[in-house]
Amino acid sequence: MTRRDKWIPYGLVAPYILHFAVFVAFPVVFSVVLTFHSWNIISPMEFVGLANYTRLFKDRLFWQAIYNTLRFLIIHIPLQIVIALALAELLNRTIRGASFFRAAFFLPVIVSGVVVTILWQQLLGYNMGMLNRILTAISLPRVPWLDDPTVAMYSIAVMVTWKNVGLYVILFLVGLQTVPVQYYEAADLEGATSWQKFRFITLPMINPTIFTVVVLSTIGGFSLFIEPYIMTEGGPMNSTLSAVMYIYRQAFQYYHMGYSATLGFFFALLILFVVAIQKRYVEQEI
Amino acid sequence: MAEVRLKHIAKAYTGDSRVIQDVSIDVNDKEFVVLVGPSGCGKSTLLRMIAGLETITDGELFIGDRRMNDVPASERDIAMVFQNYALYPHMTVFENMAFGLKLRGLPKDEIRERVSKAARLLEIENLLDRKPKDMSGGQRQRVAIGRAIVRNPQVFLFDEPLSNLDAKLRGQTRIELQKLHRELSATMIYVTHDQVEAMTLGDRIVVLRNGDVMQYDTPLNLYNHPVNQFVAGFIGTPPMNFLSGRITDAGPLRFESPNQEVMIDLAETGYGNALKPYRGKTVVLGIRAESISHQPFTDRTFHRQPVVVEALENMGSETLAYFLVENQRFIARLSAEQNLSFGQRIDLFWDSTKFHFFDAQTEQAIQP
Ligand SMILES: Nc1ncnc2c1ncn2[C@@H]1O[C@H](COP(=O)(O)OP(=O)(O)OP(=O)(O)O)[C@@H](O)[C@H]1O
Ligand SMILES: [Mg+2]
Repeated sequence: MTRRDKWIPYGLVAPYILHFAVFVAFPVVFSVVLTFHSWNIISPMEFVGLANYTRLFKDRLFWQAIYNTLRFLIIHIPLQIVIALALAELLNRTIRGASFFRAAFFLPVIVSGVVVTILWQQLLGYNMGMLNRILTAISLPRVPWLDDPTVAMYSIAVMVTWKNVGLYVILFLVGLQTVPVQYYEAADLEGATSWQKFRFITLPMINPTIFTVVVLSTIGGFSLFIEPYIMTEGGPMNSTLSAVMYIYRQAFQYYHMGYSATLGFFFALLILFVVAIQKRYVEQEI
Repeated sequence: MAEVRLKHIAKAYTGDSRVIQDVSIDVNDKEFVVLVGPSGCGKSTLLRMIAGLETITDGELFIGDRRMNDVPASERDIAMVFQNYALYPHMTVFENMAFGLKLRGLPKDEIRERVSKAARLLEIENLLDRKPKDMSGGQRQRVAIGRAIVRNPQVFLFDEPLSNLDAKLRGQTRIELQKLHRELSATMIYVTHDQVEAMTLGDRIVVLRNGDVMQYDTPLNLYNHPVNQFVAGFIGTPPMNFLSGRITDAGPLRFESPNQEVMIDLAETGYGNALKPYRGKTVVLGIRAESISHQPFTDRTFHRQPVVVEALENMGSETLAYFLVENQRFIARLSAEQNLSFGQRIDLFWDSTKFHFFDAQTEQAIQP
C-alpha cells in the first residue's frame, strides 16, 4: 500500500462519520449540556446547575402528561397486539382475497398521520361526527368521544391502533409463517383443539415477534404527538396532553430550551426503563 | 382392537393426477406392517391419510370398526413419530411427553406416572428437564417415541423415524423398536425406503410403487417369492441380478441370452412346464448374489458359468465378486477364503433351484 492508499478507507467512511457527528452525536451531547442551562435561543445560555431537574420533579403538568401517555399505552399496546394477531391469524388461512385485505389493512400505515387524524376528527365529532350520527339513528345517546376528559385519550388510542395495525399484521404474518406446520400436525394427533394449538404452540413460538411488536408499539406510543396535537390540542382539561406534546410546548411555545431538554432526557430514560422491563417479562427463550 | 383396513384408497393432491391409485390393505390388531418403496411412491401420503393429516380422495378407511374418512386427526387416537421428530422446541422433554395427556385433562399424578414409565422404558429419565435443542439426534428420536407411547394410542405410525440417525444407531434402534412392539403389543405402521429396515421390522411388508401396491406379504415370502421383477429387484442386498433372454423355439427347452453367453437347460430346473408357453418369447432370468457359488453344489442342480472377475469387494466375512454377463454387471456373494484377483477367469455355479423368471412384457413372475 502506498501512503495515499492508506487514506482511502478513511475517506470512504468520512461522509457517514460526518453525518453521525452533526446529526446524532452533537445534538445528544448538546441536549445533555442544555439540561444544566437556561436558554431561550435569543439571549446567551446561563448555567443553572440542577435547577431544571428539581423543577421537573415538582412539575405537576409534566407528570400528568406522563400519566396520560401511560393511560394511552395501556389501551393501545394490548389492543394493537390482539387485533393485529387476530387479523394475521385470519389472513394466514387461505381465505379468498387475502392479498386485498393485506393491502387494505396496510393502507392507513402509509397515509400521512395528519390526514388520518383529520378524518377521524370528523368521524368522532360530538354533534356532526358520523359515529354519533349512527348512534342517534339507532336511538342511542351520543358519546363525547373527544370532549370528555375520561374518554378522549381512549378514543385516540383506538384511532392510533387503527392507523398502525396493518404494519403489525404484516409482522405477525411473517412470524406465523415461520412456525413449521408439523408442530400443528403433531398437536392435531394429540387431540389439540384450535384454541389449544394457538395457546400452546403459536403463542410461544411467535414470542420473538410478540416481543418486537410490544417494543415497537411502546416506543411508537410514547412518541404520541400528532393526533392529540391536531384533534384536541391536549384537551379537554389536559387529559390528552402527551409527554412529547408537553416537551414540544416547553421548547417551542415557551422557549424553555434547557428545561425542555431536561424533560426529553428524563423521558428517554423512562422509555429505556419500560423496554427493559418488557424484555425481562415478555421475552422468552425458545 | 385396532385393526386398520384400507379399502380402495386413492389420493389426488391436485386435479386428477393420483399419487395413490387404489390401495387395499388390512393390518391386523398388534401387527407391525412396513410400507416400503422408492422415493415419491406415496408412502408418506398413505400414512398421513391414515393419521388424518390428509383427506382421502377415494375409498374407505376403517380403524377397528369405525369408518374414519371424516373423523378429524384429533379424534382418531393415533400417535405418529415424524421423520424430524417435531418435538415442540419451547417445551422440555417432560412437557413434550406430557402435552397430549395434559390436553386430555388427566390428573397431574397420573401424567407424571405415565411419563416416567415411558421414560424408564426408553432410558431417557435423565433427560426429562432438557429442551429438544440440547439433545442428540438419537435422544430426540427416543423422546419422539416416548411422546407417542405415553398416550397409549390404538395405532402407532412411523414415518422414516430412523433416517436421521447414523448407521450404528439405526441398527440399535431397530432392535429396540422390535422390543417395544412386543412390549406394547400395539398395531404399528412404519414407513421406510430402506428395505433392510423393512425386512427386519415388519411382520408383513407392503411394497409400493407409483402409488400402487406391488406385493403385501411376509418378509420371507417377498424374498423367496417376489410377484414381479420390481419387488425382486427392490428386496434384498445386493439387488437381484437380472438377464433377459429367449426361450428356444424348438428342441430341448432352453434359456439363451442374446449372444449365447448364457445357455441354461430348463428341463431340470422345475420351470420345465411353466416356461413351455414362452417358447420363442423373451423372459427375464433373476438370480440373487447369494445363490451363486464358486464351487459346484452337491445336493441340487446348478448351472456352470465361466466368467471374468471384474471387481472385488472384500467385506471380511464374505466377498462380493462383480462380473459381466452379456455386458451387464452381475454380483456374486462368495465366501471370503477365496483367493480371487481382478481379471481372473473362474467358473461360477448358479443354484438353479433359486432361479426366478419374469415375463419380459408384464414383468410378472412366472410361477414354476
Ligand atoms: N402436499 C402435496 N401436494 C402435491 N403433491 C404432493 C404433496 N405431497 C406429496 N406430493 C406428491 O405425492 C407423491 C408421493 O409423495 P410422498 O411424500 O407420499 O412420497 P414418499 O413415498 O413418502 O417419498 P419419500 O420416500 O421421498 O418420503 C410425490 O410425487 C409427491 O410429489
Ligand atoms: Mg416420505
